[in-house]
Amino acid sequence: MQGAAGATRAEAESTEQQMPASQPAAAPAPTSPPADERRAKTIEACDLNLFYGDFQAVEGVGVTIEPNKVTALIGSSGCGKTTFLRSLNRMHELTPGARVEGRITLDGHDIYAKGVDPVQVRRLVGMVFQSPNPFPTMSVYENVAAGLTLNGGRMKKAEKDEIVERSLRGAHLWNEVKDRLDKPGSGLSGGQQQRLCIARAIAVEPEVLLMDEPCSALDPVATLAIEDLIGELKSRYTIAIVTHNMQQAARASDVTAFFNLEETGKPGRLVEIGPTETIFTSPKEQATEDYVSGRFG
Amino acid sequence: MAEARVEYQEELERLEASGLGGLELVTAALGRTLEAVEQQDVELAQIVIADDDRIDGRYLEVHQALITLLATQSPVATDLRLISALLHVLKNVERMGDQCVNICKMIPLTGNDPPADEEMVQLILAMGRQTRTLISQSKRAFEERNVDMARDLVRQDDVVDNLNRECFGLALAIGDDPDRREWAMTMLLAARAIERIGDNAVDIGEQVAFVVTGLFREFEDASHPNEDG
Repeated sequence: MQGAAGATRAEAESTEQQMPASQPAAAPAPTSPPADERRAKTIEACDLNLFYGDFQAVEGVGVTIEPNKVTALIGSSGCGKTTFLRSLNRMHELTPGARVEGRITLDGHDIYAKGVDPVQVRRLVGMVFQSPNPFPTMSVYENVAAGLTLNGGRMKKAEKDEIVERSLRGAHLWNEVKDRLDKPGSGLSGGQQQRLCIARAIAVEPEVLLMDEPCSALDPVATLAIEDLIGELKSRYTIAIVTHNMQQAARASDVTAFFNLEETGKPGRLVEIGPTETIFTSPKEQATEDYVSGRFG
Repeated sequence: MAEARVEYQEELERLEASGLGGLELVTAALGRTLEAVEQQDVELAQIVIADDDRIDGRYLEVHQALITLLATQSPVATDLRLISALLHVLKNVERMGDQCVNICKMIPLTGNDPPADEEMVQLILAMGRQTRTLISQSKRAFEERNVDMARDLVRQDDVVDNLNRECFGLALAIGDDPDRREWAMTMLLAARAIERIGDNAVDIGEQVAFVVTGLFREFEDASHPNEDG
């Protein structure tokens, strides 16, 4: 089971807490920095190649994911967009045989540099998954607080209460669950569970939020609620979202990146990235045009 | 990869053909209008007025179908630009049809044996023939997505504008006879209506450029005629 920021409990416990090597000594502690001191960060991938054993899933991706914007990653199944997303917080390497070539930086700091703690990277770069995955045996409160304790921090109850409430409010869930914080998170509706997972992800105050088809298991009302939430969260976070829903990409993102692969078995490549408005009205590449208009399937 | 959304593509192609087919209806209406002006044919003018329902019907039918496509198919990129442009073109078609009606409504006002100035009548007929050429050219430019041909509509429209100015000069010099002056004023309104039809054809050309390039720019800015448009 993944923790709030994508770290497994075993990793969190076995790895000595340390900041990425390139972080300054006074870098934020594992507990949340005050909200007014944090800011969204830029992610840059440079000549990125991703592999599963001998199979190359992604080839030569160079892209900048800008802060305080929602970047949608679109493309047909198998084009490498989820693999690319998972490489942005070092989750790709959790798959046996997986490896990364190239460079990914978070505000200029190489997240794959020697000595950088992947757990710390995942605290800074949070992930929300396709299916809502609250810890089934934990209460609503414990689910939100899980990331705080998984990261090894000790915290007073009052401080934890405050972070849980702030995170649930940030995820637009507080009013719906404030009277049942001690009830199991798995008892919530699908849309509420996904917002609970978002609350869990933002509880540790990441700089970047990655979302892998966060609405694919939700009904239209819950989907629109999540999209509204994404729109609000971008004022505080850098957000990258993988989606198969063209309208969602058009509605919810500021920048759209289209991934494609020439044929099955070939690696996925970034075909085009640009303002969402441009991608959906006047894309430069014919392949993008064909995909967004659903002309080829 | 296999081509998908075939029915949607076929529907969009059908609607483009039907919408642009409205320009053929306008060309025919303008031809009859000119004949009615030349012959002072009140009955033919009435037919043009009645037939405008066909143009309006085409507008409503294609407009509604395009709205349905927008609602059900979520078109984007080139398809979205095409549908946006077609909605504009339909409005142009409807307006051009209305201008023919405007002219035909004037014909009974001039009487059975008006004190016509032959030179002015010939100028108006020349304007009309040139405008029919513009309409045909705008349709072809749209069908072929030919921006150069669309831009050339500005040059063709200048011919219409110049003829219109000549008409104005002739009306000023028509003399003092009240009947002839009234006739000339009525014909000036007819010339103005034809000139507006030409402008609508240029507007269609601008939509061609939008479909092809994704950028909308007026070919000529009427409010700033000396600047590059």
